[in-house]
Amino acid sequence: MGLISAVLAFVTVVQLRSQAEVQASLAGQNNTALAFLIDDLHRTHDRLSAETQVLSQRLQALQAGNAQAAISALQLEQRQLDIIDGLVPVSGPGVVLTVDAPLTAVDVQDALNNIRLAGAEAIMVDGQRVITGSVVVDAAGGVVIDGVAEGSPWTFTAIGDPTQLTTAAELMARSLQSDPRVIAVSYRTATTVKIPAVLKPRPLVYGTP
Amino acid sequence: MDPRRPAIYVLALLAIGFGFLITAQWRSQLIVPADRVAQNQALVASAQSLARQNSADRSQVANLRAKLDRLEAQAAQGSSAAARLSATVQELRVEAGATPLRGPGVTVRLADGKPGPDLQGATAWIVTYEDVQDVVNVLFQGGAEGVAVNGHRITPRSSFQGTGGAVIIGQSPPLLAPFEISGVGDRSGIQALLAQNGVLGDLRLRQRLYGVGLDWTGAANLTLPATDSSLEVTYAHTP
Repeated sequence: MGLISAVLAFVTVVQLRSQAEVQASLAGQNNTALAFLIDDLHRTHDRLSAETQVLSQRLQALQAGNAQAAISALQLEQRQLDIIDGLVPVSGPGVVLTVDAPLTAVDVQDALNNIRLAGAEAIMVDGQRVITGSVVVDAAGGVVIDGVAEGSPWTFTAIGDPTQLTTAAELMARSLQSDPRVIAVSYRTATTVKIPAVLKPRPLVYGTP
Repeated sequence: MDPRRPAIYVLALLAIGFGFLITAQWRSQLIVPADRVAQNQALVASAQSLARQNSADRSQVANLRAKLDRLEAQAAQGSSAAARLSATVQELRVEAGATPLRGPGVTVRLADGKPGPDLQGATAWIVTYEDVQDVVNVLFQGGAEGVAVNGHRITPRSSFQGTGGAVIIGQSPPLLAPFEISGVGDRSGIQALLAQNGVLGDLRLRQRLYGVGLDWTGAANLTLPATDSSLEVTYAHTP
């Protein structure tokens, strides 16, 4: 209980500081930047509202007060977290972007970031599942992702909102086509994209929840 | 412009910005004044209102997660099956950033420098979202089990974006320098990696040229809050 109280107090301080930062960040912004920000704020609100609804439903189920309700809520959460943590194969609507180019670690991280900005719920690069926190570094002859060497041609597979992902893939493809390093780039949208790759669970060694 | 990033990404961002200008004008349902200054003021007011709303949403998410943690722990005490499942889910929450995490770790601080006289110096003194992302990546590479930026927890789905010196991570509000990026995990491993000359090379260069602030300290006990961003899964499903 003590840790929860301390964390909630911390969240309050962070929120107050964040309001001041919002004020400061808006000062001097041009109309294009503000419009970009407003659209992002709308999408943030949509996602947070959906999350609040899910968490409230889970809370109501638990407040029913019996162990079976707790087990049902926990099983639902486990299925969701297994997907978020990259621990289970998944499928769903999405895009597959193929890039034939000698990409660097920075290029790969930028591509992954663009895909996440489009709301991707699961991502695979070549045959590897990746999450924010996957280690992407340059190495002799290419890029190493979580200790495994990868190289051209690159395949980025993402599952999520097909409209947002398609828009992101289109923009990325157009940008990459202007890059002299890029030999070829293409993408396809599909109602069912499969991501069979999974990550291994990483038990805590240093931290405690 | 950051020399690491191809200029084509600037073009991509401008294209996105123009498209969102049209979308945002419709979505904000503003009666757009003819005057540019008045239009700017209207957009600022709209952004402020949305930001306040999102701040309230984030508080609600944090409160609900804390209540769920408490109730699930209580319910698990009544059943060994529930207790085992609760322990499994708690481990998954840690990886997802859905529960607080405490332990030894390292905090990296980034601060804006001062403009330089050269062309690059006009902007290179500002800490950008790419710098923050680079530090987050280094912390995970060094052995962090959880990372937070200015109190906002990184999740497996966190994205980084920003304009100028404002950084948005996932559904966070715009964050400004100075940035405190904390990682709980292998404190020695993280510090050893940060100390390598080749790591965060661009930041180190800009530290020398424009006074960008880059330093770090280890600590025996850091606490990272749970994420206040969405972890909703709508499209991906297990086969």
